[in-house]
Formats: sequence, C-alpha cells, structure tokens
Amino acid sequence: MAKINPDFAKEIFKYGNNDFNACYNCGNCTAVCSLSDKDNSFPRKMVRLSVLGLDDKITESLDPWLCYYCGECATLCPREANPGELMMSLRRWLTAKYDWTGLSGILYKSLFATLFAFIATAIAVIWFSAKLNFNTEAIMHFGHQFEMISIAAVFTLILLPNIARMWWFTIIKPGVKVKFKTYLQSAKELFIHMFTQKRTLGCDDSKARWFMHLILVFGYLALLFTTVVLDWFGTENMFIIALGYIESISIFIITAIFVTGRIKKNRELNKFSQPSDWFFVIWLFLMGFTAFIVRIFIDLDLIENNLWMYLFHLIVLVQWALIIVPFGKWTHFLYRSFAMYFEKVIQANK
Amino acid sequence: MKNKIGVYVCMCGSNISDYVDVEKVKAEAEKIGGVLLSKTTMFACADSTQQEIANDIKDQELDAIVVASCSPKLHLHTFRNVAIRAGLNPYNYVQVNIREQGSWAHSDNPAQATEKAIKLVQAGIERVKHSKELSTVKIPSENSVAVVGAGIAGMRSALELAEMGTEVHLIEREHFVGGRTSQWNVLFTTNETGQEVISRLYNQIISHPKITLYTGTNIISKKGSVGDFNLTLKVNPRYIKPECKLDKKKFQEAIDLCPIEVDDKFNFNITKRKAIYKNYDSEFPEMPAIDYEACNKCGECAKLCDEIDLNQQPEEKLINVGSVLLSTGFNPYEPPKGEFGYEDIDNVITLQQFKRLIELNGGKLIYNNKEIKNIAYIYCVGSRQVDGENKYCSRYCCTSAIHTAILVKEKYPNINNFHFNRGIRTYGKQEVLYNKASEQGDIFLQSFEDAPTQVEKVGNETIVKIKDILTANEELEVSADLVVLVTGMVPRENADLVNILKVPIGRDKFFNEIHPKLRPVETVIDGVLISGACQAPLNITESVKSSLSAASKVNSLVSSGEIELEPTMAVVHNDKCTWCDKCTNACPYDAISVTKVNDKEVALVAKSLCKGCGMCLPVCPENAIDLIGYTDIEMESMIEALID
Repeated sequence: MAKINPDFAKEIFKYGNNDFNACYNCGNCTAVCSLSDKDNSFPRKMVRLSVLGLDDKITESLDPWLCYYCGECATLCPREANPGELMMSLRRWLTAKYDWTGLSGILYKSLFATLFAFIATAIAVIWFSAKLNFNTEAIMHFGHQFEMISIAAVFTLILLPNIARMWWFTIIKPGVKVKFKTYLQSAKELFIHMFTQKRTLGCDDSKARWFMHLILVFGYLALLFTTVVLDWFGTENMFIIALGYIESISIFIITAIFVTGRIKKNRELNKFSQPSDWFFVIWLFLMGFTAFIVRIFIDLDLIENNLWMYLFHLIVLVQWALIIVPFGKWTHFLYRSFAMYFEKVIQANK
Repeated sequence: MKNKIGVYVCMCGSNISDYVDVEKVKAEAEKIGGVLLSKTTMFACADSTQQEIANDIKDQELDAIVVASCSPKLHLHTFRNVAIRAGLNPYNYVQVNIREQGSWAHSDNPAQATEKAIKLVQAGIERVKHSKELSTVKIPSENSVAVVGAGIAGMRSALELAEMGTEVHLIEREHFVGGRTSQWNVLFTTNETGQEVISRLYNQIISHPKITLYTGTNIISKKGSVGDFNLTLKVNPRYIKPECKLDKKKFQEAIDLCPIEVDDKFNFNITKRKAIYKNYDSEFPEMPAIDYEACNKCGECAKLCDEIDLNQQPEEKLINVGSVLLSTGFNPYEPPKGEFGYEDIDNVITLQQFKRLIELNGGKLIYNNKEIKNIAYIYCVGSRQVDGENKYCSRYCCTSAIHTAILVKEKYPNINNFHFNRGIRTYGKQEVLYNKASEQGDIFLQSFEDAPTQVEKVGNETIVKIKDILTANEELEVSADLVVLVTGMVPRENADLVNILKVPIGRDKFFNEIHPKLRPVETVIDGVLISGACQAPLNITESVKSSLSAASKVNSLVSSGEIELEPTMAVVHNDKCTWCDKCTNACPYDAISVTKVNDKEVALVAKSLCKGCGMCLPVCPENAIDLIGYTDIEMESMIEALID
C-alpha cells in the first residue's frame, strides 16, 4: 500500500519541469516513444509516479536514464505536460539522490549556491596563485598536478560511491537476485554504451546529434589524456601538440553549436535549459577554448607575460573538476552507461 | 369503401429487400380488389418518391394510399403530409411496418418474412378501404400557464412565457424563490454567484404584470384538461404580514428570541436555523418567513414586531390555466448510512454540504473543529450504480466536484485535492476545468465499478483506498481530513403532485417525456409539460435551455386560444350505451363521465382527455364504443385478411 505524496511534485519543480501535473494519462507519450518497450514502458509511468509522489518507485527505476530526450512525447502531448522534460528533471533528481554528499541536490536546486561555488573556487585559485607569487612555471606545474590528483580523488571519493549507491537503489534494494557471472557477462554493455551512446540513434532524426555528441566525448576524453598523460602544455613533440589542437578545436566548435542550439531552442531537448545545462556546456566550451589559446600563447612565447590567460584556464579547469564533474551534469556520462549495464543485468536475470 | 388505392412497397435501401421479396409483395397487393396501382421503391421517404406518390394521387385520382416500409413512429407524418400536399385526407393513409416487424425481425427466414409482409400489406389495404376522412379536433384554451417550481428553470420559463404574452402563475412550495441555484456560490462559466443570478431573475419577474408569484404554495387538486385546467392551490401561512418591510435589526432580534432550532435544509443540515428565518440576506421575497411546520407559536417574536401575525391561516386559491409546466427540480442523492462511511465516519460529507461549508467558512477551512488539508472526493455516489437502481450518470457531478475543488484551492491554497473517480466526464467546455484542476496539482485516481474506492477509519485517521487503474492497479491510499461524496441527482419528492397530475415517471424515477429526441418537453398528459432537472439530471445551462424550449412549446399550445387534437378518440353510440360504468374504470385518463341524453344516462368521452388508447372498447358489454380511426369494421377486416 503506497501513500500518495502531493508535495513531491513541488520538489520536482525545483529540478525543472513544472507542467507534468497537467497529465490526464492518455498514454500518447509512451505510444510515440521510440525507446520505450514492453520491459521499460515510459514516460507515462514516470509521469504518473511523479504526480502521485511515489519517490521510492522512481528511485528504483532505471527508466529516466533509458530516455534520450528525442522530444516527440513533449511535442505530441495533448496537455502540454512535457513528459520529456520531466524525464530530464528526474535524471537531475536521481543524480542528486545517488550523490551521497548531498551537494548535487543543493547545486541543482539553488542557483545562488552554484554561483557561490563557482566564485569561491575562482577566488581560491587566484589566492593560491598569489601564494606562488604568480610564478608561471610553478602555477602550470601545480595545474598539471591538480588534474591528476583531482581525477583520482573525485573518482574514488565521489563517483565510485555514487555508482555503488545507484546499484544499491536499482538492484539490491528492490531485491533483484543477480549472479556474479551475470555481472561479468553483461559488462560489455557498459563499455559499448559509455563509448558509443548508440541508444541515441533510437530517436528519429538523431544521426547528426549522435555524431556530434560522439566526437565531443572522444575529443574530451582524448584531450584529457593528452593534457594529463602526454603533458600537452609541456611537450615539444609536434605530433602531440597537433593532436591537442585538433581535440580542443573539436570540443569548442561542437559545444559552440550546442550552446547556439540551446539559445535558439531549436529542438525539444533545448527548450528548457536549466542552469546546470548552461554551466555544463559553456564550461566544456571554455575548457576547450582556453586550452587552445593557452597552447597558442605557449607556442608564440606569450604565456610568460600573459599569465592571466593560464589562470583563466586553470579557474575553468578547477571549477569543472570540483563542481561540474562530481556534482553536475558530467555524471550522466557514467549513469547512462551504468543504467544500460544494470538494465542488461536485470533482463539477463529474468 | 375506397377502391382506387395506391400501394408502395419500400426496399429501404436493402434493409427490407435483402430479406423480403418486395416484388412478390407488390404483385400480391396488385391482386387485391380496389388496388389501382402497386409499386416498389428504393426509398419511399426520399423526396423524389414522395413527389411521385403525390403525383400518382393527383393523376390517378387515388382515394387512399398504403406505404409498406418502416415503423409509423418514423414516417407516419411524412406520408400524411404527402397526402395533404396531394389533396388527399391524411387519414386515408395507412402505414404498414415491414421492416421492424418484417425484415429485421425475421432476417433468418426470408421466405417467411416475405409471407408475413404480404399478410401485413393485405391487412393494411383492407383497413384503408374502410378509412374515413377525418380532421383534427379543436378545443378552446386559456392563454395561461401554471409554472410549478420557482428555481432557475421555472423562473426563466415564467419570464419567457410572460414576455410572449401568456399569463403565468409561478408556484413555489418554499417561502423563497431560487431553488437549488441559490444554494450554490460561484458558478461556472460566468463566475457569478447563484444568488446573483436568482436576484436578477426575481427582480424581472416581480415587476412583470403577467406573472403572479405564489410562495409557500402547493397544488392540492386538479380538474379539467388541456386548455382548461382548474387548479386548487394551498397557500401556507408565512406568519408575516404582506406589507412587511424588512427591518434587519428587528429581524435579528426575532431570530435571537425564537426558541425553536431546526436543521437548516438550505445548508444541507450542516447548520441549524431558527423557525423564523431567511436563508441569506439578499433572498427573495425580501421579508423573512416563519416555518409553519416548526413554529410552536410561543408568540415571543410577535411581541417584538407588529408585522408578525401568527394567526394567519392557510388559504385556498383557484386558478384556471391552459397548461401546466413542471420544473420541480432535483434532490441531491442522500447516501444511506454507511455508504462510503457516510454518517458512520464523522468527516464524510456530501458535495452539496461541502459547497455550503466552503461558503460559510472563513480564513481557514474547518470541519468538526479540525483544519482540513487533504480532501478526498469520491465520485459517482448514487449514480451509475452497479447494484442500486440509479443506473444513470448524473452529468453535473464531475464538473461540479472539479469546479468546487478549484474554488476551494483558490480560497485555501494549502489544501490537497484527491479525486477518486470512475472516469471523468467534464464534457464540452467544462473540460477546461479538468485541465485547470490537473494543472493546479489535483490528483486523479481511477477505479472500475468492480473495485470501488474504500473509506475506513484507522485509529484517528480516515483512510481512502483505491486500486488505481492509472498506476497499473497499484493499491494507493490517502489519509483524508475530509471525504466528500460526489452525490448525483434524484428527483424531488413530489408524490402528491404526481398523483394529482398523473405525470408519467420513467424507470429512473424522473418525469418522462414523450420522446427524448423529438418531443423532449411534453408528457403523454396533454397540456402538462416538463423542464429542467425534474426530467433528468441537468446542469443549470441545460435546465434553462430545456425550460425555454418548454416555454415556447407551452406558448404555441395555448396562445392561439385553440388546441388541435388528433381525431383518433373513442365515441359512444348513445343508442347502444346502457351506462354500466365499466368504461370509466378502464379509462387510464379519466376521460369518461356520465351524461344524460334524452333522459337516458350514457357515457360521455371528454375529447380533450381521450388519448385514443382503446382500453374502453373491449370492456363494453354492449359494443357501444368505437374508436375513430380504428373502427370495428377496420379492425375486423384487417383480422380477416391476416387469418385468411
């Protein structure tokens, strides 16, 4: 016997969609959804659970991650209840739910808190640089060190425990009994989806969107590798330098297209951008763009006299690594692929 | 005897001809003496065929016609009109039903269907041979009407009738006008209150020279019939002198003094009132009333104010009207004790009580000294009953409940509305309310009739449970501070009135019209019409529409001073009649009385009352009664044709 909780809707409003109460359960959204199937019927079910405030059932569901926001449901909803945006809001809500620190929720719900975090990190970087007497070499050395340490720390302290919580909520708590062997057999699914996002292609007319997103993911991962492991800013190797240029260019061009799309609201998924969406895409753009300029400054020997450029890049980097990656939209990269993996595990178990 | 008869056998597209061999029927008809021509036709009712029949009548000088087609309920008048257009008396026309009684009934056996059709047509021809030229009967009529019930339907039709020049007697049982409408606050879609609407109508009515309003008045007897009804009214005492001008301060003092306290019907018994009362400030007629049934005549109020007169007696008044229009309205369904916890659990009330509660409450919504946060509405209470008698949908309740939920949320933003329904029927533009309620966060839960919502008391909590079909039959529950039973409509108790006027009652216990589509405001009692929610569950808009339709029907009936009746009625052959009185008992319409002709007592049929039902014929031992249009010779010749 489940108790109805109408206050839950007000909580979801803070994460985005506030139209879903208009739903009259016609089910058009589920009928037109290209990704919904008999095992995972959405989005109507999620709309209904949200209206009723049955949050336990939402927490144990992987459906929000299986939705790739084609937007047809929102276009065709006779009540303009915007089911696609609700699925997006539920992904934000789940991200907050999975996060053991609780910071995700605070940042999603409060623009003030987000701005405070961004300003505080910027001040911290400047203050630390002042302590290093604005010595270019020392600061760049610190920047490189920071990248490695932050990746390791964020991954082990935040992301790994949060994935474990997702696993707990969606498999262990609902009582799905899974053999260890099944986890191994299904592991392929995790990597396929992590590196191809091929489910996006299930949406109609999604080839261009999928391709740009794919380039962006590879560009981002490759630039991360090039800067952290191959030390792009320190290397003399022409091949590595060129590689870094290509990667950073592809990142800022594609993110620029994405930002333009959100400004123009050219498709359903771009219509309702939350601060977290703006920060994610703009900061990714800034990462690529500032990295590109910093390397140009290095190549033109301008960086010694223009340390501000590197500092700007470092601030963006620190904000990205400490705010957006662990607590912001970056995590969808993990949750989406793990959701496909867990779903495979659950289905294999049936 | 007619001997130039035209016979037309209709195929009804293929509805008839698929099973009945129409050519054979036509050929058999041709063989009968007196038949001049016999034809088959694709659609007898088509304009071109009607024209063809009319031309045949004129060119061939036909003296009677038979159309073998569908039920006369459908096209009797169509072909009578064809006859009239061609200059033939419409009563020299007989319709034979070979569709409903032929092809459709015997689609499994075409051969016998054809045989039956032939017999029916033969009988029809024999009957038409003996048909006589008849004309409608005209009786004089008063251009006046008694409108019973001064709710919104009665008030609106009274005004319309008066505007059209008919004298109106508006009769209201209560001491105040307005009926149910005055009990509702804000109305959809105009956002006026019911009381404002009623006030406006009252002011027009009271200043209209052609309307006489009677309040606190019942009809206690009726004599006469259409065109000439004599009604006896009983005007109950108001105990207030008619010249009283309301002095608010004195009235309040009288209320304070009055020792009698009774349940306040106006508030559906959620409050009490005194024997001297007015339901709301701007209620009409303006002067207060004393409830003659509750008052113990202690005289305390009379000491205070000269305008109170406890010695008033009921008065009888006689009025003469051409027609009676009933608009007696509805009662909310009263749930029996225990239905969804009604009267068992202290926070279960009806929608009508809830509507009054919202109007009476101030800044906080309080019931039973408890502030209300969660409100559970249970739909279809007393309507669409699976086991009970009320099978019908009451139409207004979904909209009313949702509208009320919106109003209550506007007044008290912190409350939560939960709608436990069986499918929402906010038809037409009322759908916008449903949308608005959803958008404001109201939660709709739905179940089928086989798994009804349950209300139970668990400790201090009232739990409402449902197997929600919108959530994959999940069992869901709400702890409700108030359970509102969305009760439907039942007719007002009008046993006396029904008895006096003999109005027909339908299976749903509402007044019954002659034909729901073609004659929706008339009853089988000539001159007695119905409108508004006494006929079927209707909302205010629909009630007013029906009342205006009834108003125009009444006016067209009585305004010419003459009423036309079908000539199909019983006649008594005075030479044969021995006045045994058997026919009066057989007549369901009280149309037969005794009269003296040449010092001999004989039966007399009142033309205005006789419906031509024929009940009196078989009981007459002297065979002294004949039914015009169905005379013995016509019937006997038909029977002979059938058994031949």
